[in-house]
Amino acid sequence: MTYAWALGRRALREAWRTPDAMLPTLFIPLFFLVVNVGQAARIFPSSTTDFLEGQGYGAFQLPSSLLLAASFGTAALFLVEEIEGGYFDKLRATPIPRTAIVLGRLIAELAKGLLVAAVLVLVALPFGISVASGPIGFVLLVALTALWSVVFLGFMQLIALKTRSAAATNSGGLVFFPLLFLTPNFVPRDLLTEPMEIAATLNPVTYVMEALRSLILEEFDWGNILPGFAVVIVLGALMIALNVRTIRRYD
Amino acid sequence: MDEEAQVVDAHGGAAPRAAVETQALVKHFRSRNGDVEAVCGVDLRVDAGGIFGFLGPNGAGKSTTVRMLTTLLSITSGTARVAGVDVAGEPDEVRRRIGVALQEAGLDPRQTGRELLVLQGRLFGLSSRDAAARAGELLALVELEDAADRRIDGYSGGMKRRLDLASALVHEPEVLFLDEPTTGLDPASRLTVWEEVRRINRRGTTVFLTTQYLEEADQLCDRLAIIDQGRIVREGTPASLKAELRKRRGLAEEPTLDDVFLDATGRTRGRVAGDVQEVAA
Repeated sequence: MTYAWALGRRALREAWRTPDAMLPTLFIPLFFLVVNVGQAARIFPSSTTDFLEGQGYGAFQLPSSLLLAASFGTAALFLVEEIEGGYFDKLRATPIPRTAIVLGRLIAELAKGLLVAAVLVLVALPFGISVASGPIGFVLLVALTALWSVVFLGFMQLIALKTRSAAATNSGGLVFFPLLFLTPNFVPRDLLTEPMEIAATLNPVTYVMEALRSLILEEFDWGNILPGFAVVIVLGALMIALNVRTIRRYD
Repeated sequence: MDEEAQVVDAHGGAAPRAAVETQALVKHFRSRNGDVEAVCGVDLRVDAGGIFGFLGPNGAGKSTTVRMLTTLLSITSGTARVAGVDVAGEPDEVRRRIGVALQEAGLDPRQTGRELLVLQGRLFGLSSRDAAARAGELLALVELEDAADRRIDGYSGGMKRRLDLASALVHEPEVLFLDEPTTGLDPASRLTVWEEVRRINRRGTTVFLTTQYLEEADQLCDRLAIIDQGRIVREGTPASLKAELRKRRGLAEEPTLDDVFLDATGRTRGRVAGDVQEVAA
């Protein structure tokens, strides 16, 4: 872990020195939160909408914005730059475990994800959104969002390593949008049409979104929360394994 | 030659230890148009302690060979040992013993020179304190102390090359691979890099240098090999290669290394000039 931590600190310095790459991860999700709530809040008044659990529609929409914020994966573009510039080869020529090369950026992404998620939730609080599961729920909410950002960066890094192309890596990021919309994004799963409900049930992002939503709208409902954590742990492990394998076979 | 580089051979005499040794080294790349054979059975022996030049025209297989020797490319067939260690069998052990500065100065532009060297030291197992001290030494060695805490994206090409060299030396490697270290540099920066290479070699590091500049090879290298179309076509000291050509062709004057190169690769001055005109057009 010493090597991964050293590389993680480097990636954090990189993020700190390129604020222009990080600011959109805050502003774009907030923009979508405002727009979605503005369009649908009157359709779902809190007084007559059971699934809002007494909160406004903004609380229902916040998980979508959190997931969007955690699904930029811009650090993968820095990896492409390193591949093109030769620094990635420099790292490969060191005797550190290949896992450390992968984990370095993911550790930094986890730290950035924690910061971005905490800021987004704290910005939302003055607008009548509360975290029903309390301070521990807040910590879990932020942690789950940050873990999803690690999964997503792992996916983006995989594209970067396979294609070694900034354009292809950027395009790969667009995969998230269908996944975000094949979820119970605007209403709970049981209110979706049957084809959409099947698609949402098959989509792992659904379980992350439902876990986040549960932490915001309800007291601890582990039946909703644990599947979200299970998804990020399984997908995270898969992404790390695929990244390491790709670097080991990198020619 | 360094005394440590001598070992006793089978006959009881002192034979130089091999810093690099390859046997029938082959690299194939798969492409849509079929297999491309970039390196076709290279046998090389580089004695420890010297500066070895590896020359060849563009696409001859120089960089591919270096990338195999530095563990960055897989080996299709054949064997390679660097600093006595099998490259395919123990890549991490090879990585501990070599320094690498490739064609592109492989640097992270968002770090400062000092941060880059400290990180490199940490990745080679130095403690934070030792890595910081080593970074200071190296920055002094390559005369970048004044720019040490500036971000690398503001460095000139020559400064980047010198920093790249320094980063390859953090762990005091036994063998230093330099892949076209002066390509794109102005004459003054090139001379500075040459002086660094000589200084590094005087400290006991074997240098394996690829270059397209024959003058560079002539100035720096004790021995050299010329590769063309993936095969070694000449090998020896610059003087012996020139003498062999002079004798074979019955030349009145001693040929230059350019003549040796052109003879070895089947090129002529006219054809090379034509190539240059084509590029310029």
